[in-house]
Amino acid sequence: MIEVKHLTKTYGSVQAVRDVSFEVGAKEVVGFLGPNGAGKSTTLRIIAGFLGATRGRVVVDGVDTVQEPVRARSRIGYMPENVPLYPEMRVNEYLRFRAELKGVPRAQRREAVERAMRDVHLFDHAQVIIGNLSKGYRQRVGLADALVSRPAVLVLDEPTAGLDPNQIRDVRDLIRSLAKHHAVLLSTHIMSEVESTCDRALVIDRGRLVAQGTLDDLRKLRRSRATRFAVRGEPARALEVLEKIEGVRDVREASNRQDVVVLEVRWTHKADTAAGTEQAVQALVDAGMKLREVAPTKASLEDVFALLTEEEQQEADESDASTDSDRGEASP
Amino acid sequence: MSGFWPIFKRDLFAIFVTPMAWALIVIFLLLEGLNFYWLTVHFANQVDLAVDHGPLQWFFGETILFYLPLLMLPPALTMRSFAEERRAGTIESLLTAPVSTPGVVLAKWCAALATYLIAWAPTLLYIVILRRAGDVDWRVVGSSYLGVVLIGASFLSIGVLMSSMSKSQFVAVLLSLAVTVGLFILGIGEFIFDRGLAHDICSHISIWSQMADFSKGQIDSRHLVFHLSLTILPLFICVRVVDSWRWG
Repeated sequence: MIEVKHLTKTYGSVQAVRDVSFEVGAKEVVGFLGPNGAGKSTTLRIIAGFLGATRGRVVVDGVDTVQEPVRARSRIGYMPENVPLYPEMRVNEYLRFRAELKGVPRAQRREAVERAMRDVHLFDHAQVIIGNLSKGYRQRVGLADALVSRPAVLVLDEPTAGLDPNQIRDVRDLIRSLAKHHAVLLSTHIMSEVESTCDRALVIDRGRLVAQGTLDDLRKLRRSRATRFAVRGEPARALEVLEKIEGVRDVREASNRQDVVVLEVRWTHKADTAAGTEQAVQALVDAGMKLREVAPTKASLEDVFALLTEEEQQEADESDASTDSDRGEASP
Repeated sequence: MSGFWPIFKRDLFAIFVTPMAWALIVIFLLLEGLNFYWLTVHFANQVDLAVDHGPLQWFFGETILFYLPLLMLPPALTMRSFAEERRAGTIESLLTAPVSTPGVVLAKWCAALATYLIAWAPTLLYIVILRRAGDVDWRVVGSSYLGVVLIGASFLSIGVLMSSMSKSQFVAVLLSLAVTVGLFILGIGEFIFDRGLAHDICSHISIWSQMADFSKGQIDSRHLVFHLSLTILPLFICVRVVDSWRWG
């Protein structure tokens, strides 16, 4: 439903988006993941027709956004970041205005507005002036606006930003249910959001698409290559023992509370993890250490980003013949 | 031209739902009312009247109370048009809807023009009052109001353009005031330069002498062309400005 081909956007000398290509299929929810300033909003704005691309093209539901901009925009329900709304209008007035603007025929307008309000659980607030709404409800108005003309494609820029945990859950459920009728592209900088709502994710950093794949691929990215050992005994001795294990890249002391020290072991290869852990446990026990806990550490979103962006950095300066084998398998 | 009608309605709604428009119209009508009051006091003591210096000529163009609102009202009515949408970010929702840029610009201009006409409409009562005291030349009334509408149309067009130039309503209103007042002051140059090119140019763009013609019942095609160009050109540039945001 959305085809993005070699998209590049330049602001003066700054390349906000660099040669980004991807597709979003019908009834698919795709998450656009990246740190702030990575180029997510710029890409979404180009798709929505608010910005023009420097190079590349975008086709929405078979319509080219440059050749037929108005027709392409009529296929998209777009919710901008921070959901700008007219504060002086009532919710139903605003949605009626948006429905008319999006070309919903007069006879169907009332029903379209009511359905959109029902879909986002906004019905009780139809008469409220938008300026008096809380952040969560404003977000719902934005969603209802995106939905009101029943577009083929929904483009949502950070739909859960600034919401409390309950509202986030509501919005996520809502987005999942929307996938029955629409192709959805949403942006976020929260990894778990992608996991809970999306079928597939695109990871963008510094304007470049650094990874894309299904949730399983992402989960693999998250699987860590570090293991934590909580040991009671002499820290220096434990450190010494662990460093001798085959496949260990480095060991660092994560915490040292009372007499229990937590050591984090990073493995050189993912394949070393299982055997290495077994060996390490054996060696620690043999050395007379008391083992409290052994657990793989979960890579945080930051770690995954670090991993992906490290790799990108490496690609960038290829002449720099770095031989760090840790990076090879980052991209699924 | 898609999107014209809903945006026109919404802009009109936005102008009248806030106290701003009402305050503007009240001030405007107070000034015009004062103008009319002085005029009646003045002419009540007048024994004989020159043909082209009657109450209507006075009202439409002989006092500062006519020009002050004429120059101030359009910038105040248009300052929000684009500046506020850009400041609040709503321009993003607006321009990502299936609307054409000319439709958006025209809708905003027409909404401002409609408000301008609504502000002027009650002054028609003065004509009714004048008519009770004597004869009213309807051609003079018609051409005078035509002048008011033409000047309003072009000033509002300039105002809409200036509103697209800045994210701040305040800057927008200053910019358009600079143009409308600047144009008026240039027109005064007609009385400063005795003859020559400068005199001709100044008298051609002089709002004062244009209103003097209109209020005598003369519809000069040069004035028509002047104001139609001054309406169409800024609107055209405004469409280009709005389009340019996409490529910024």
